[in-house]
Amino acid sequence: MALFKKLLLVCCLLFSWQASAAEIDFSGFATIAGGLTLDEDEALAGYDDKFSFDNGSLIALQASSDLGNGWGVTAQLLARGSEQWDMNAEWAYVSYDASDNWRLLFGRQRAPFYMYSDFLDVSYAYHWIEPPSGVYSLPFDVFDGVGSIYSSSMGEFDSTIQLAYGRNRDGAVLVGEERDTDFSEFLSASWTLNRDWLTLRASYARAELVIPFDEFQPLLDGWRGTVTFAGIADDLELSDDSGNFSSFGFIVDRESFLLIGEVTKVDPGDNFFPDQDSYYVTLGKRFGDVLLHVTYGEDEDVSDYTIFANVPAGVDPGLDFLLAQSQGVLASVEEDSSFYTIGLRWEVSSSVAAKFEFTKFEDEQPLLAAEASLFQFALTTVF
Amino acid sequence: MKLFNKLSITSLLLSLFVLAPAVSAEVVVITNPSNSASLSESDVKRIFLGKMKSFPGGGTILSVNQSAGSDVRKTFDKVALGKSPSQMKAYWSKLVFSGKGNPPKELANDAEVIKLVAENPAVIGYIDAANKTSDVKVVATYK
Repeated sequence: MALFKKLLLVCCLLFSWQASAAEIDFSGFATIAGGLTLDEDEALAGYDDKFSFDNGSLIALQASSDLGNGWGVTAQLLARGSEQWDMNAEWAYVSYDASDNWRLLFGRQRAPFYMYSDFLDVSYAYHWIEPPSGVYSLPFDVFDGVGSIYSSSMGEFDSTIQLAYGRNRDGAVLVGEERDTDFSEFLSASWTLNRDWLTLRASYARAELVIPFDEFQPLLDGWRGTVTFAGIADDLELSDDSGNFSSFGFIVDRESFLLIGEVTKVDPGDNFFPDQDSYYVTLGKRFGDVLLHVTYGEDEDVSDYTIFANVPAGVDPGLDFLLAQSQGVLASVEEDSSFYTIGLRWEVSSSVAAKFEFTKFEDEQPLLAAEASLFQFALTTVF
Repeated sequence: MKLFNKLSITSLLLSLFVLAPAVSAEVVVITNPSNSASLSESDVKRIFLGKMKSFPGGGTILSVNQSAGSDVRKTFDKVALGKSPSQMKAYWSKLVFSGKGNPPKELANDAEVIKLVAENPAVIGYIDAANKTSDVKVVATYK
């Protein structure tokens, strides 16, 4: 009965809201993607050697309303096949246009790390099925907080400066497990310059990181127990660390040619996660309704072993054990990989594009050397 | 029923032939006669891409589009903006789904654009040159 009353109240509120104010604009986008790896024991980007349709598929609905005097409200609800189509709010914000050139966003929004961050899930807006995962690899991509978008013209260039401040406590899958992550005091700045066919972008972001890794607790306790080398536990533990991210990107979209590149650097702070250097370059050419493209990229994640520099080897078996275990952990998270993707985007209809991609991935990191070949296709649309 | 089908196919074909030349027709960008702003081709491009939001002499710009799929829209997108319909769709989807902006409002035909431009000095639109009237001022011409 109480539930019924609540529902009734919600209905009344909705009706009165609609009657009093606002027109609500609905829009949306969808990607239905499928793929498989070409060999039995290969797995890549969530695909294995059996064809799957759910992994890269998603559908989103956006509702927005103009509240007058520069105010607006927008919600973007997104369901992913890889999350059993559970619907989550990817964006949920109130916006305020302080002037023609300055917009503020309050609430849940995308963290503007990368060139394609803002419309990461809108596959229709770019040529790949999704942006290269080596570069697009940070463990969170939305935050709750305040965003500021300021656009102006600088001579022949249009300039956009985007600032963001907030926090993310959504949790993330890291080292194979779902973790209770806390990325606080997230602060980012990005600057985009655009002129006709040229776009240049630079960004910087930082956050305080707390991510519990229970499986490493015995190791941390071990180091703390040595007293002399207790500092090593702090160098490994992911708690109250300050992580930094920077990137640079460019797009040349001239006549039928497309040239895109993005370089990123991640310094996760003093913990067992390695520094990460990644980049990709894409070359594409349009032939009428078809865009052919090829992308090459590398991802190098290197651990810092100098934290063990003062630990004497062969003196104490307990210490040797701790050292070997810790070095093993650092080695297991390193990466030295490269990939290339050959793909095609085809405008099937006025708002539907079909995409086909072949990706060859290779990791030469000695411990986890792996390679995989992946075939993917997708139908993408906006509506 | 069969006759109807044939008729509709015939009329469809006819309309294709009749409409086809319109794609290469002249398109003019129009403002209210009281608007003294002079606009370069680059200004027009930036206005209809949502990058330029006020007139050189001041005053907020309200740009209006024609309906997607209309010939005048296709010509304008291609000649004035240098983009295909799907490139334009991709362009606006980047802004719409990232809280950065909204595409110009779509009006149904030239007459509606003329009507709104004639009423409101902030409005800028484009129409088939053949339909221009003395109620509006031509600020740019595209062939």
